[in-house]
Amino acid sequence: MDGAEAAAPAAEGKAGEEEEDDLGYRLFPDRNKKPQSFLVRSLFTFHNKCQLMLRMTLDTNPYAQLLLEAMKQSGCTVFNDRHFSCENCDGCVSGGFDSATSQIVLCQNNIRQQSHMNRVVTHELIHAFDHCRAHVDWFKNVKHLACSEIRAANLSGDCTLMNEIARFKFGLKGHHQTCVRDRAIRSILAVRKVSKETAEKAVDEVFDACFNDLEPFGRIPHSKTDAKRAYRDFQNRDRYNANL
Amino acid sequence: MADGGSWRPPRSCEDYWWEWKHCRGLRHAFHHYYTHGEMPACGRWREDYEACRAWERDHATAAQEALCKSERARVMEKQKYAPVWKLRKSPPPDWYLPLNEDKSN
Repeated sequence: MDGAEAAAPAAEGKAGEEEEDDLGYRLFPDRNKKPQSFLVRSLFTFHNKCQLMLRMTLDTNPYAQLLLEAMKQSGCTVFNDRHFSCENCDGCVSGGFDSATSQIVLCQNNIRQQSHMNRVVTHELIHAFDHCRAHVDWFKNVKHLACSEIRAANLSGDCTLMNEIARFKFGLKGHHQTCVRDRAIRSILAVRKVSKETAEKAVDEVFDACFNDLEPFGRIPHSKTDAKRAYRDFQNRDRYNANL
Repeated sequence: MADGGSWRPPRSCEDYWWEWKHCRGLRHAFHHYYTHGEMPACGRWREDYEACRAWERDHATAAQEALCKSERARVMEKQKYAPVWKLRKSPPPDWYLPLNEDKSN
């Protein structure tokens, strides 16, 4: 699994059975199982609620809508039933991006609120967007993984002041960057068997470049207003580029 | 830059005005301080707005050049850092491939 969003960051990667632990699939036990029957899924899991919240996000959330449009322009149209999957996951994980199957996994047992769904979908769509537009070596290049995690933490709203306070992380001046750095490191450590020093080094090396890579938003969206503005700018980019 | 006859400002003047007003607001000031550790500088949006209006009024070349220079500088600022990864020329080939019915590897 690649780039996961989690209280503990979710894992990423796909490999043979014996390598699954190295690439984070242990956090997503349903990934390689046969799907449950419709009745079991409807009555005994949060599958339907997850689907409804996902639909709400994709239809109304400006962050998601901009990312979907940007991915479409890059040649990766996202289809709900193909590219999203609501599954049960390990206790601490909220979602992940599986680059092997080009799927975003949403942890139906851990996403209970619409605002959380919005944030997880945005986070994972950023990973999917990076996968779509660049040759990201998710499995072998820690710097690539670090870069996508930095961007996802930066642009998805993961590191708003309120979210940080809810995690009992307090800070104000420039705290957003501290949060982005820390969450990127945690994400890498959850999905790769690397040392903390390796993860920190990778994040530090790419931080400046990736923190300032704001595609497709063009700005760090701190609110839905910012995201709507970014969407508008994205739609007007032809005019912008033609008149520079 | 597009041919002078068909050129128009990269953004509408209302957009420059909105960016300037937004930049000066309390909410944005807070977000900027939280993100960058300093207060935002908004003067450039005001200058761009003035240049945009000047161009709309007189089609002044100076206004057009000032606006282009400012926007190009914004683009250059974004391209300051070398990219970490190589951009694709086409989307991943397996993006639309159907999922295996049998999920086991």
